[in-house]
Amino acid sequence: MLIEEKLPSDPDRAPVFIEAWLRRLRPLGLNDDQVFGLKLCLQEALINAIKHGNKCNKHLAVWVKIAADPRCLAVEITDQGQGFDPGAVPDPTAPENIGKNHGRGIYLIRQTMGAVDFSNGGRTIKMVMPLTGDRSGGH
Amino acid sequence: MDIKFEKINDIRLIVLEGELNMESAHKFKETFKPILKERNAKVLIDFAKVPFIDSSGIAALIEVCQNLGKVNGRMCLCHVNKKIVNVFEITKVHKLFKMFESHQEALRSF
Repeated sequence: MLIEEKLPSDPDRAPVFIEAWLRRLRPLGLNDDQVFGLKLCLQEALINAIKHGNKCNKHLAVWVKIAADPRCLAVEITDQGQGFDPGAVPDPTAPENIGKNHGRGIYLIRQTMGAVDFSNGGRTIKMVMPLTGDRSGGH
Repeated sequence: MDIKFEKINDIRLIVLEGELNMESAHKFKETFKPILKERNAKVLIDFAKVPFIDSSGIAALIEVCQNLGKVNGRMCLCHVNKKIVNVFEITKVHKLFKMFESHQEALRSF
């Protein structure tokens, strides 16, 4: 299964796209935990691309590619912003950062997905969720 | 997100229905503006009908919790589903919120 989409940099429209992708991915038979985790990561990565990458500039686009097979689901999201250094993002779980009201998106993605890679100067994130194991659990 | 208000003695019960995410975070924070004008406010937030939270929702909760603290108020959560508790634990923000499994337990904590 392959989903490819070019999105406008409009954060208000992101949830609608995400719900549509999750509906299209239903035949994969993901369990509740996998759907929750995937939705969380799509939301965080897409909002990062739109808000922090493209700065909500509606003249800039975000490209999303979701490729799934029975073993894994790979998501690639690319923006047209300035890029950033993912290694320089502070750890939101450090004691001095726990009370801050920002900076958890990438951390949540890293903790939820099986593998996460940035390329293209931080403009592209690729995240992979393994689909092996029990898909009936998580209710 | 739908937000309903009830009052149990001097405790404000806020019942949320829907996702606490980037879309709803602003509405959620606005809800607390009048409460933040009080001192010593006691707030119980019922999460029973909240199926999903993202980092914007977490940020909104932290902001409200901290703002309540500034006016000597207190806040706790109840009926938080396991997936959301897991997100709180991953990000360690569970250390910031008192969470209870029932209204009764939460009410007793004030």
